[in-house]
Amino acid sequence: MHLLRRLPNWLTILISFLILLLGWHLLVMLGGYQSFILPAPLDVAQQFVLVMRDGRLLHHSLITLSEVIPGLLIGFLVALPLGYLLAKSPLAERLISPYLIASQAIPIIAIAPLLTIWVTSTYWSRVLVAALVVFFPVLINIIAGLRSVPAELYDLLHALKATPLQIFRKLEFPAALPIILAGLKVGATLSVIGALVGEFVQPKSQGLGFLLVTARYQFKTDLVFVILFTLAAIALSLYGLVALIEKRVLRWQT
Amino acid sequence: MKKRMGFGLVLIILVLVGCSQADPESAGAELRQIRLPMGYVADPQYAPFYVAVEKGYYAAEGLKIEFDYSFETDGVALVGANELPLAIVSGEQVILARAQDLPVVYVMEWFQKYPIAIASKAETNIVAPQDLVGRNVGLPGFWGASYVGYVGLLTANGLTQDQIAASDIGFNQVESLLSDQSEAVVVYINNEPVQLRSRGEEINVIPVTDYIDLVANGIITNEETLTNDPELVRGFVRATLLGLRDTLADPEAAYEISKGYVEGLDDGRLDVLLASIDLWRAETPGLTDAASWQQTQATLLEAGMLDAPLDNLDAAFTNAFVTEPLPQ
Repeated sequence: MHLLRRLPNWLTILISFLILLLGWHLLVMLGGYQSFILPAPLDVAQQFVLVMRDGRLLHHSLITLSEVIPGLLIGFLVALPLGYLLAKSPLAERLISPYLIASQAIPIIAIAPLLTIWVTSTYWSRVLVAALVVFFPVLINIIAGLRSVPAELYDLLHALKATPLQIFRKLEFPAALPIILAGLKVGATLSVIGALVGEFVQPKSQGLGFLLVTARYQFKTDLVFVILFTLAAIALSLYGLVALIEKRVLRWQT
Repeated sequence: MKKRMGFGLVLIILVLVGCSQADPESAGAELRQIRLPMGYVADPQYAPFYVAVEKGYYAAEGLKIEFDYSFETDGVALVGANELPLAIVSGEQVILARAQDLPVVYVMEWFQKYPIAIASKAETNIVAPQDLVGRNVGLPGFWGASYVGYVGLLTANGLTQDQIAASDIGFNQVESLLSDQSEAVVVYINNEPVQLRSRGEEINVIPVTDYIDLVANGIITNEETLTNDPELVRGFVRATLLGLRDTLADPEAAYEISKGYVEGLDDGRLDVLLASIDLWRAETPGLTDAASWQQTQATLLEAGMLDAPLDNLDAAFTNAFVTEPLPQ
């Protein structure tokens, strides 16, 4: 254990991944599972090589990514001003919050088919589903972040005759940024789920959601695993990207 | 004292209520509960099964059927894993499943004709497969029974997919055709054409079954059930064939029975059942033939859904349970 603590992060992660793979392999072997129920790691690896070679995985991954990123950005950019409004205006909060909270009780899988009818563009209906999934968690974090600013700092800036814009730029935004970026990290992973839901509802023969549907239709569970790992990789990459931005933008904290 | 009596009374009532709840199992203790994945939502086309339940055919075989309207692929996977003994699926699913070592076996062909067709407005003059060349055809997706039927139709007529501008329109065939987004659409012959005609549209329909014989919807089991519990399969198939027989003999009565199983079913969908009945008639109901399995496999290979032919296609189906005479 002492040795593990001294190892670099990447090596620790690699070791844990290898242990996971070994455990998975043993589970399949000892459990006697058929490949359509639980494929072995090697089967999944072989399928991965196959779909990489024929270009399908990259093709469909790029399509899903082209929905995920705009969905994340739109969800965030809509949540930002609305979050500011709700944080600063008790009246706006009383008027709007009940509907926002109620909207979260509606499963996105129920709304997604309606969106594909209302929004004639398949692409934008999928992006919209991703944005909707991202929107609420990011909004909550923005409100929480803005409300976490200590009152005495407001008093200080008021004493210095700061304008509302100066207060926002010099105080509110920097103070709320850590919590906002934490919400964006959550949103990054949720945007992948949102895009996938959109693709399930309107496959349009494109995207990892479509590939997942066809893999299930053909009972290729090993391909399902490849797609799931790819989706996880995309989500982790986006999370890591936001974490890097966070590190850069919040370097004043260290 | 009064409090104790009150408490005791409440306790007695609770016990009595608990005892009075009919144990779902005990009411039909002699019946074996079977969860049956149907592959689609509750629909009047399942009338033969509803009739068989209502007339006690399944009960006579010692079976109590619970209809499960989950996805078709889930039904195949559950039967393949021997979590369930039976399911209703389309024939091509069996080949795709067996290609992945799922030991499912097709035991009764319910739909004798593949239900997929190409529909178009009468004015477009698309009356034969060759008329599709250069046209814009909408499909629900490039997967599933619709795509298999579409590819089968093209292959059987010497056509290739690149001769036709096919597009994925989702399950919006009616809207796509009416708005002229598509010149022709791939449909279920007992669904969208019925809807279109009910709206007064004059349409042409090209049934896939007129050009190629593909294996359609039927009943599957798994090899373990066939080996260890063939009587279950025999009884289920027999009861289903009786339900089918009665439905063919009196569709209106079968439709009335279906109203008890399909929520909100009014008289307006009788045409769906009548259109389905044409697909079910056969000299020997339930029989499936090797040639149609060969053609289905060839179509799957052409569509790129199957990587290689099965080692033993004949093991995918059996007629052992459909050739026995039915009780009168």
